[in-house]
Parts: sequence; structure tokens; C-alpha cells
Amino acid sequence: MNSFLLISMILAAMLALSLYLPLMAGQLSLASPGFYALGGYIAAVMSTKYFVVTGPFPVLYLLAEMAAAGAACGVLALVVGIPALRLRGIYLALATIAFVEILRVLSLNLEITGGAVGIFGIPQPFSDRGSYLWIAIPLLLLSMGFIYRLERIRTGRAFAAIREDELAAAAMGISPTFNKVLAFMLGAILAGVVGALSAHVLNTWNARQGTFDSSINYLAYVLIGGSRTFVGPVVGGMALTALPELLRALADVGGLPVWLAEFLRNGRLIIFGVLIALGTVFFPQGMVTPELLARLFGRRLRRAEQVASTQPVDHGAQRR
Amino acid sequence: MPPTWEMTEEEIRARRVPVDEQRVLDVRHMTRQFGGLLAVSNVSFVVEKGEIFGLIGPNGAGKTTLFNLITGLIQPTSGQLYFRGEEYTGQRPHYIAQKGIARTFQNIRLFGSLSALENVKIARHTHTFGGIFGLIAGVLNLPPAPEDERKTTARAMELLEMVGLAERAHVQARNFAYGDQRRLEIARALALEPRLLLLDEPAAGMNAQEKQGLSDFIRMLRDKFSITILLIEHHVPLVMGLCDRIAVLDFGQLIALGDPRRVQHDPAVIEAYLGDEG
Repeated sequence: MNSFLLISMILAAMLALSLYLPLMAGQLSLASPGFYALGGYIAAVMSTKYFVVTGPFPVLYLLAEMAAAGAACGVLALVVGIPALRLRGIYLALATIAFVEILRVLSLNLEITGGAVGIFGIPQPFSDRGSYLWIAIPLLLLSMGFIYRLERIRTGRAFAAIREDELAAAAMGISPTFNKVLAFMLGAILAGVVGALSAHVLNTWNARQGTFDSSINYLAYVLIGGSRTFVGPVVGGMALTALPELLRALADVGGLPVWLAEFLRNGRLIIFGVLIALGTVFFPQGMVTPELLARLFGRRLRRAEQVASTQPVDHGAQRR
Repeated sequence: MPPTWEMTEEEIRARRVPVDEQRVLDVRHMTRQFGGLLAVSNVSFVVEKGEIFGLIGPNGAGKTTLFNLITGLIQPTSGQLYFRGEEYTGQRPHYIAQKGIARTFQNIRLFGSLSALENVKIARHTHTFGGIFGLIAGVLNLPPAPEDERKTTARAMELLEMVGLAERAHVQARNFAYGDQRRLEIARALALEPRLLLLDEPAAGMNAQEKQGLSDFIRMLRDKFSITILLIEHHVPLVMGLCDRIAVLDFGQLIALGDPRRVQHDPAVIEAYLGDEG
């Protein structure tokens, strides 16, 4: 497998997670491509205009750009989220699509973003693309670890409560606005960081990076992967990114009838669509569900969890 | 006025939160209009500390609307609400819950796909370290997060134990029987450590035997947690035997208020509500 595909798969997995985060609090936001594009522009502008160096681009600068992109996207998400998250369901989805469009049109017309041409010649910190895996893989593990912990603590429980029943959550002392905006910000920060990394990986950045199409792609990653555990979006993002390449590789296998090879090579979009349709019919919960994970790793995990949750009670009762 | 670092009398008075322990809930001239319909009309009453206060009335009398007003789920057209002497009219529901008013719902509103334990743990929200720093501490499992989490689980298990659901703590809430769901909802409300507990038809859907036990259970809650209880109930014998005082609503208006015996013999009440009960 070539390393560019592997990096694309990891980036897609993280973008799917950036959509999963607001979804944890029940908010269907399609704003991720907007923050992804913004993060990319921040990295592109910083590295081509301000961090000009001779020789290889320092990795530390790249990390600084990722941090700056995350911070900027977090602030923008706060400003956009407070009014936007008053909308519910499909109206929120529409508003976030509008947000992505606004950013796209802005980037097409501003001078700093390079207009329609975009920014190219983004400096490379590594001599080969594969080395980006040293940043991409830890970043993916970090974001997965973050969400794994998040689902087990107070904030994650508040998100789940709002997803289940916003009114009942409020009646339990949970501020819906604070938690919804927080979930939205976390998703935006992740998308921004991924954008900054992508700009370097792709070497060029332009207004085609954050579009309505990508909104739908990320949504497909989450829906097909499964939206009830964070493993779903990761699997979905990786699988759907790898699928076209897999089909192309299949077509190149010798001995296939010419028409089939041709179809595999050029009919990718058709196959893609059929798979999505079949997936939603036969796996409406997505490929990965909490039940599936429980069956795969369950017995050991559940026992550990039970021990963890019952033991402190015994101690507490004794002390009382 | 000479400049001074001391606060004036007036400022001190304005800053002091007027806590009135005795008057737990003070509802004043509460009115709510839905279009042309007066769902609640000029209702005033005081619930005192340690009381079990019943709210009864025929269907559509405005009882649940009044509950929603008290907990901030809907806003009054006019009137004021005071909790322990402090006005809180117009506050958001989560603020009111944090202040110490918890409730259950007539049409049970549990977090269905979460476990019983998670349902109760969620209601410990206001009693754990939160905000952005709480999030960071929680994700990294740094103090005070592990201790908070341990206490939250322990407290939630105690409450589940009390309502008899501890054995099924890991079962999804939607898989419980109706009566168990009601008890789980009460455990969840108690996890907030409220001073005032609002129960919306706690006996609905319970069988005769469960109803019998419910009176003792509610009294036990009041004594064990030293809380005040305001409840809506249709089952008249239960209300009469359980409540210290009763308010009767009819077409959004308060038509009677007092101890159960007096209310039961009030002619207006008999006509409006108890007439068909004999």
C-alpha cells in the first residue's frame, strides 16, 4: 500500500471524528470542511509568508501551525456556534452547510488565500511523504484516546444526555448551550488541526478543499462506519477512502474480462453508490456498533468495568 | 458622597441573598397563556419546608403546566417564583435544577439508550468538577477527576440500591418495566441532591400493590433526604393519605387549598373533581 493512501485514510478518519464530536451531543453539524479549509489556509499562509526558511521546513513549525489552526478554529466555532446551535436537526445542518459555502466564497475572493489559484509550494518538512505518518498516526491515536476518555467522564455523559433528551438533561442541571457549543468547538479544533497537516501533505491548498461535497463525504464516513461509537467513523473514513483504490487494484488483476476490469476502473462512483445504498439497508446502524465491539472485545472489558463500578460502592458503604 | 472602600448599607442589603428556609417554594400570581387559553391563571401558594404538598385537579386543569413553569421549561406570562426567598422567575431550567429543584416527568423522560447507572450519574453533573478544566482533568484522569468519578459511581449505586435497581445497573433504561422506570426517574432526580422534589404522577401505571408501597416510599424520601415534596397525583386515596396539604386546580385556577380533610369536603372541589369519586 502506498503511504499517500495510508495518510489520506488517517486524515479521513480524523475528519469523520470531527463530525462525530458534535454528534455526541446530538448535533448534526456539517461544518467540518469549513474548519478544515480554514486550518489549511492558516498553515499555508504561515509557512509560505512568515516561516520562510532555507532547507527542510522544521517539524516544530508544522506543529505550531497545527496548534494555531486548532486555536483559530476553536474561537471561530465559539462565535459561530452560539447563534447556530439554537437551530435544531436539519436546520442546523443547513446553517453549517451555508457556513462552509461562506468560507469557500471568501477564500476564492480574498488576496491572502490566493483567490481561485490558491496557495502552492507549501514547504515540506520531510524528504518523502511517508514520513508524515509519524505525525498523522500519533494524531489519530491521540484524538481516538481523547474521545475514548471523553465518553467515560462527566462532559461526555452530559453530551450523551443532551443527545438522548435535551429537556430532561436541562432538568438535571446540564446547560444545553454550553455543552453543545463545547462539542461543536472540539469538532472544529480537530478539523482545523487536520487541515493544517493536510496543507503540507498536499503541498497546495485552494478553495476546492472545503466544499459541500466533502461535507457529504464526511457524513457518509460516519453513517456507514457507524455513529454510535467513535470506532465507527474511524473505520468508515478509512474504508471509504481506501475503496476506490481497492477497486482500481482489483481491475488491474490479470485474467478479468475486459468489460469487468473497465467497470471496476471507471464505474467506481456507481459501485460506491450501490455500496452506500446496500449499507444503509442492511446495516442501518453502520458497520461498527457498540454491540459488535462488545461481542469482539466484550467479555473481558465488561468484567473490568463491572469490577471498577461495584468495588468503590462496597468501600463507600463500609466507610459510611 | 465621600469615596470609601466600605460598602454602603444599601449595597450590603442588595448583595445578601435573602434565604428563607421555611418558604421553600413561593408561587405568586402565576399565569400562563397559550394563545387564547389560560392554562394557569393567577395561581399563588407557598410550599413550606418538609411538607408533602399535593397538586390535584381534573385532566387539563394545568397541573403539569404549573410544574413546567416552576422548573423553567416554559416561561410565565406573568407572576413571580421564589425559591427559599430568592426570586428566580425567568431563569433557565438547568440553573433552576442547580439551585435545588429536581423533577420527574409525567411521560417518563429517561435517557433510554443509556444504562440505569449512567442515567443516575448524569444527574450528579452539578456535584462534580466541570467546565473546560474539568474536561481536561477528566480526559487525562488527573485530580480531582478520578475521585469525582469514584464518588459519582458510588453515590449513583447507593441510589439505585435504594430504589431496588442496583442489580440491573448496567441494563439500558428503556428495557425496564414501567414501574421500575418511574423509580429510576426518582433515583435520578434525587442524585441532584435537591431541596425540593417535584413528582409528576408518580403512581401512574403502577399496580395496586405498588401504589400501596409508594406512600411509604415518598415519606421515607422526605425523612431520609430532608427534602420538600410537591406532587401531582390522580389517585385520590393516595393523595389524601399522603399529603400534608393539597392545592386543587380547575381550568387553570386555584379553587381550594388546605389540609386533605378540608379540601375533600369543599363544595367547589366536590363539584369540580371529587364529585364523581363519591
